[in-house]
Amino acid sequence: MTAAGLRGWLLRAWVTLVFGFLMLPVVVIALASFSRTSYLTVPPKGLTLRWFGAVLGDPEYVHAIGFSVILALVATLGSLTAGVAASYALIRRRVPGGAAISALLNAPLIFPGVVVGVALLQFYALVHVNGTLGSLVLAHMVITVPYVVRAVMASLQGIDPELEHAARVLGASGPVAFFTVTLPLIRPGIAAGALFSFIVSFDNVPVSIFLLGAGQMTLPVKIFTAIEYGVDPSIAAISTMLIVLTGLGLAAAERWIGFHRFV
Amino acid sequence: MIRGRGWALLLPALVLLLVVFLVPVALMVPTSVRPYVPMVGITSGFTVRYYTRLVTDSYYLEIIGRTLALGSTVTLATLVIGYPVAFFLARTRSRWRNWLTLLVVFPLLLNLVVRTFGWIALLAQNGLVNQALQALGVIQEPLKLLFNFTGLLIALIHIFLPFMVLVLIGPIQNIPRDVEDAARVLGASWLSAFLRVTLPLSAPGILSGSILVFVLTISALVTPRLLGGPTYQVMSTLIYDEFLQRLNWPAGSAEALLLTAMVLALVFLSGILARRTGARA
Repeated sequence: MTAAGLRGWLLRAWVTLVFGFLMLPVVVIALASFSRTSYLTVPPKGLTLRWFGAVLGDPEYVHAIGFSVILALVATLGSLTAGVAASYALIRRRVPGGAAISALLNAPLIFPGVVVGVALLQFYALVHVNGTLGSLVLAHMVITVPYVVRAVMASLQGIDPELEHAARVLGASGPVAFFTVTLPLIRPGIAAGALFSFIVSFDNVPVSIFLLGAGQMTLPVKIFTAIEYGVDPSIAAISTMLIVLTGLGLAAAERWIGFHRFV
Repeated sequence: MIRGRGWALLLPALVLLLVVFLVPVALMVPTSVRPYVPMVGITSGFTVRYYTRLVTDSYYLEIIGRTLALGSTVTLATLVIGYPVAFFLARTRSRWRNWLTLLVVFPLLLNLVVRTFGWIALLAQNGLVNQALQALGVIQEPLKLLFNFTGLLIALIHIFLPFMVLVLIGPIQNIPRDVEDAARVLGASWLSAFLRVTLPLSAPGILSGSILVFVLTISALVTPRLLGGPTYQVMSTLIYDEFLQRLNWPAGSAEALLLTAMVLALVFLSGILARRTGARA
């Protein structure tokens, strides 16, 4: 074997090992969720779907799933509205201090989630909105809006502004030109931003855990507290469901909008 | 006219970030200097003791040191493990390239609690890693891999490796192959071409990937909490306990502001570094 061939082979071997490492916990959870035992074990002893039934029959889990989905949907809709408008202004309108504004819009990306969480815990208590759904939605919008802005700005940058201009010249009003020309063209960016936003909101623990009011529970916080109480295969079952849904969602996103361009 | 419209479009996002982000974070400053009295609560008055104890008390110094040690070790490990992977993904002409990239993205999109849970199953006393090592005869007694540095390190490397790989792919792709070929033609060995041409040219990616992973590691809450428990603390879990268990919001605010200052200082510093290296290139 030539030296170059050997290097190529070694590189492939390393890449395979790393992919194995990345997938290891995923495989372990999926296997553990089918075990007949009431404790967590891999490889599974026996084969059963009873832990999946246990999760879907548990009203606490069902409620948490519903609450998380609604919260993520509403937060994503809000982030899309605010984020698309802001991205459009930053790319197409000359706004003074544009660089500073886009730095501010992206700040929650690098800001420690736990700091946002505790800051809002105190602030919401101060203005007496703690425990309300609206305040939780706003908190989730803060952490999701950067993802929308990033994806939509990337999409907008690839589109010739003259297209919208042409529509204006041909007599379309500003909003009509935007909604019929520009918006359809940036649909992939909006879809990618929406997907990121949904996932970030749906997965969040460090902000939600400080802000959930009585009767409110998101799925990841529910799993988080369940693990702190003690590990059992029903946690593996709900995790396996999330693994499958995430995988399907990612594959669908790649088929429809070429998701890899937005990561 | 156009300028006015631009502001109107920015208004919702700006108001959101101002009211639900900047103001709440700023309001932690006055809280952090008020004395907390157990059983009474936050009292009026002024104190800097929650700051001074962070830099003098060995309990807090150990937690800060541990957080920074985790940050730098995870950063270095993800760089060493991830660089060859990014290199492969940037250079391969395989038609599976996009799907392989998505395989790196997948763990990133998978719920963090779920990924951490996987590591609990792997690293526990009777977990898969200990079972495998014992079956292979490498160890006799199970290793302690939870609630300590090793376990936290392994899980955090797993969680932040995708970030490093994804950040590195672009800058490696941007290196023209000709430059490497030129070095080889001029007699450089593969290793010296890599060390003296490829690696320096991917410095911008290495810098931004390292800063990102470091910042995310020292901010992580879920994984350190679940794998470290209430006893093996890092800064974010300390803040968590201060606010939810001890209810000492002034101390928690001071700790949160220190963590924020560390993150912002790093991001600021990397900006300066990036401009310097960019100017030199």
